[in-house]
This record gives sequence, structure tokens and C-alpha cells, in this order.
Amino acid sequence: MKRKGLRFYLRIYLKILAQDIKSKMSYRADFIISTIGMICTNIAGFISFWILFSRFPSINGWGYYESLFLYGFSLVSLTPVQCLFDNNWNLRQNVYSGDFIKYCLRPINLFFYYQSEVFDIKGLGQFVFGLVTLIYAWVKLGLGFSVLMLLKMIVFLLTASLIMIALQNAAAATCFWIQNSFYVLDFVMKFKDYAKYPITIFSPVFRFLFTFIMPVAFIAYYPSLVILRPDAVPVLSWISPLIGIGFFWLSYKFWMHGALKYSGTGS
Amino acid sequence: MEPIIEIKNITKEFKVLNRREGLKGSIRDLFSRDYKIVRAVDNISMSIEQGEIVGYLGPNGAGKSTTIKMMTGVLEPSSGEILVSGNVPYRNRTKNAQEIGVVFGQRTQLWWALPLIESFRILKDIYQIPDADYDEMLKLYQSLVDIEPLLHKPVRQMSLGQRTLSDILAAFLHNPKIVFLDEPTIGLDVSMKAKIRTLIHALNQQKHTTVILTTHDMGDVDALCQRIVIIDKGKMLYDNDISHLKQFFGSYRTLKVRIKGDLKQYADEITEKLPQCSVSADDEWISILVDESKTTVMQVLGELQHHYKIRDMQLEEISTEEVIKKIYEEGVK
Repeated sequence: MKRKGLRFYLRIYLKILAQDIKSKMSYRADFIISTIGMICTNIAGFISFWILFSRFPSINGWGYYESLFLYGFSLVSLTPVQCLFDNNWNLRQNVYSGDFIKYCLRPINLFFYYQSEVFDIKGLGQFVFGLVTLIYAWVKLGLGFSVLMLLKMIVFLLTASLIMIALQNAAAATCFWIQNSFYVLDFVMKFKDYAKYPITIFSPVFRFLFTFIMPVAFIAYYPSLVILRPDAVPVLSWISPLIGIGFFWLSYKFWMHGALKYSGTGS
Repeated sequence: MEPIIEIKNITKEFKVLNRREGLKGSIRDLFSRDYKIVRAVDNISMSIEQGEIVGYLGPNGAGKSTTIKMMTGVLEPSSGEILVSGNVPYRNRTKNAQEIGVVFGQRTQLWWALPLIESFRILKDIYQIPDADYDEMLKLYQSLVDIEPLLHKPVRQMSLGQRTLSDILAAFLHNPKIVFLDEPTIGLDVSMKAKIRTLIHALNQQKHTTVILTTHDMGDVDALCQRIVIIDKGKMLYDNDISHLKQFFGSYRTLKVRIKGDLKQYADEITEKLPQCSVSADDEWISILVDESKTTVMQVLGELQHHYKIRDMQLEEISTEEVIKKIYEEGVK
């Protein structure tokens, strides 16, 4: 048996992905409707953001375009969790019905195999929307451009994504222990809505909560400070890539721990 | 020859909550948890050779699935040892998965939206099947079943029978040493059952694959298994050739007669006349179970003709199903 490295997994992933997209395209009505739905969701989100800022041109020293930057940043960084890890939402059902056992019987990494099954193409629309918002805000703020900035941007976007993925993994994995884990997942994922606001607008209690307990501040706020306020970057921003990797690794271990103790239902 | 599966004294215990009844009970359960230990599998040993087809039988809840889960590595035994193709399944789950194939009757393991051929291609990558072996296997499949109409159909559009067939083909695709089939013919019509039995038999013959089959359908057992293992309440009741089992109960035959008149009343009379036989009656037939080691069917028939006017008769050999039913009820002793 050959070694199963990154190339092995990438090859399988791309193959499943290609097939999945092909089969989704074949449901044309479903595809069109969900695309329209996704566009509406994004527009609605933007409108509520815009209403807020047309009333208060600046929140706690954060101007319109800075906040817009944060908004775009959070949308882009949420794309991977939406596209690649969407099957976490089905985990509870799979575990409850006993169907999860089928994932335990293949000679490849269980977590990979499970997540590879679903690719949510709708996330790509959010990505484009977020990217346009981000670039628009970037230009309006006159931040300038350098390769180093772009690199920083990419690293910190990835960091933010990892944290979001970690939060979702951990929340979804609770279903291996508790029956009604939907509420846990739903509760945790609702917190991501707070990611698009500068954390300084919250009270100290929530600031602490969003930084250390439910680290949504790392999804957009801390990473984007590196670009937006390069003169006063807190230490937390610089170490956020490490926090991202650490959190992801922990959530992966937690998920796998639950999955390996899974014993299925009777048949 | 080295056995392909070696099980020594495995036991699996589960901790279950003693649930109290009613809402009041549920609330009390929240605060005081009273566990009991349930032994799903109790000290089972067996050894299976490469190429055998073993029927693994038992009533619902006997511990069949638990044993299969331990052999596939999903569950860890509480005590005892299992070696599957030289691996300890639980500790070496991925390696074990490479050597086995598993089919659950009503649960497909294929990608729901994909046509079968695409699932096969992904499986080819996952199991790292060399091109030559893959092509050879597809050719073999083509010679055994009419696979063409299945290949380009998404799994979700298949009938249950087609899906089961596809699942079995997918389980054998990487030419595993052992295939576990958990109730493969459940819910299928007679012709599909026959098709699936022929397929399993052919694959076992051609590839020398060991097959562990759990089923409640004695037709599967009769068609496929040389050896059967019966468990109940976690304990092993029987492990031997199927012919041995039939021989064991082979002296029983059922004589069915039809007599004009009230059959129930006749049945009672016959019971009195033939105390060594068990007699029952339905709307059409009086059934008399004859133990041929005590008396012969011909003697019983002669006796009946002496008293009644027999209009019709049938003679039935005891079926495996009845044998196993007897074992479930009484145990082999």
C-alpha cells in the first residue's frame, strides 16, 4: 500500500468535488433558486449594515469604510467554512440515524472523508460579494498596495477561516455526546454575526468573551487591524495565526475523539 | 492454513441507563443515574478460514451487529482478542478497512448523487486499486450481472434491489479478503434475492473471498452457507456445518393430511391416538410432526387411513428455518 500523503487526499477531494458540482448542476431549478437566495441573503445583510452606518457615520472611532472593510473581511473569511465544511450541519442527523457508520469503514482519514462529501457551492457567491466589498473599502480608504500587504492579507484571512472552522467543528462534534446538539451548533454559529463589528464597540465583558471564550473577534477584528491600523497592532493580532492553527488542531482532535468512540445504532 | 479471522473469548459490555417510567421517572433520571451493565456479546470464540461463507444467525438483538462492528473495527471489545487478516481491527482501523468490504442491507455507502461508475472511480482512488485489477474486476462484474443499466444511473434513482446490488459490487471492488454482508436481501423481491445470492456465490468462488453473512432469510443460508454460527443473547449456541444441523433434526418430517369435516376436532382425536407426534390444524391441513426415530411416517399414515378417509396428503422435510427456530426456542442439547 502506498503512503497516503497530501497529493493522495487532494486527488480524491478534487474528484469528489468535480462529481458533486456536476450532479448539482443537473438540478437546474434548485441551483438557480439557491443562487438567487444566496444573493438576496447577502444583499439583505448589506442593507442592514448600510442602514446602521447611514445613522451613525462613525462607531467608536471606526468610520464607514473601515467597518465596510471589516464586513468584507468577515464574508471572505467565512467562505471556507461554508464551502468545505458544510457537512458538519448534517453530522447530528447522521449520528442519530446510524448512517455515520459508513464513514468509519474506509481506509482514509475519517474527518477528511466525512467533510469531502459535501461542497457547498453557494459559498462562492458570498466569496465574490465579500471580495468586491473588501477591495472597494480598501480603495476608498487609500491603503495603498504592496506585495507584503497582500501576503499579510492572505495569511490573516486564512487565520480567520481556521478559527471559524474550528468553532464549527467543535460545536458539531458535541453531537457525539449529546442528542440535541443542533442548538449548540446554531448558538455558536450565531456568534459569527458579531464578527463583523469592531470589538471596541462592545462592553468589556463581551470583549473578553469574544476574545477568549468564543473567539469570534479573531474572525475579522484582530486580523484586519494589521492592515487597517498598522501603527497600533495589538499582540493578539500577531499571534492570531498561531491561535488559528492551534484551535483548528484542537477541534480536529475533539471531532475525531468523538467519531472514534461512535458505536452506531442497532440494526 | 492460517485462519483469516480469529476470535478468542470476546465480550462486549455496554453501560446503559436504567430508565424509569413516565415523566416523573425521566426527571429523576436527570439527577440520579442508575446504570446497569449489559453484555451484548458474551465470550464468543470462532475461527474462520479464507474462502468460507459463514452464516451468522440469531434473533433480533442477539449481538450479531455488535460482533460485526468489532470485526470491522468500529467497536473495541471489552475483553478478548480479535485478529482479522493479521490486524487488530480496533487499533488498526484504516489498515483493516483496506482488507474488508462491508454492506449494510438498507444503508447505502455509495455517494447518493453520483452514478455508480463515478462512485467506482472514487473507490478506485481511495483503495488505490491498480488499473489492471480494476479493469479485470469490472469485466468480471459484466460477466456476472447486467451492470450496464446501473453504471450511469445516480444511486438515488435506483430501486432498493439495484442499490443493494451496487453496494455489493462496490464492497467487492478492491478485492478484499473478507466481505461482511449485514442482511443484504432485506426487503427485496424473490427474483432480486436470487440474483444477489448468485452474485455473492460467484464472487466467493472466483475471488476466494471470505463472506460473513447475517440474515433472517433462510433462503440466503440454504443457498450460500456451508457453515452457520448461531448466537442468542450474546452467547454462541451453535457453530458447525449446516448439514450437521439438518442431520441433527433430520429425523423430523411433517405429514400434512386433508380430511373432510371439522379439522380442529379431528386434530384433537389424532393427538390422543398418536401421543408421540405433535399435531396442529389450520383451515386446510392437519399437520403432524413425526419423529422418525420413534415411528415412521408410513405407520402414522396407515393408522390414519384406518380411521379416516384421507382426501389429500403432503410430506414436508423440516426446513432450516424450523431447525433454527427450534434452536432459538430450546437450544441445542
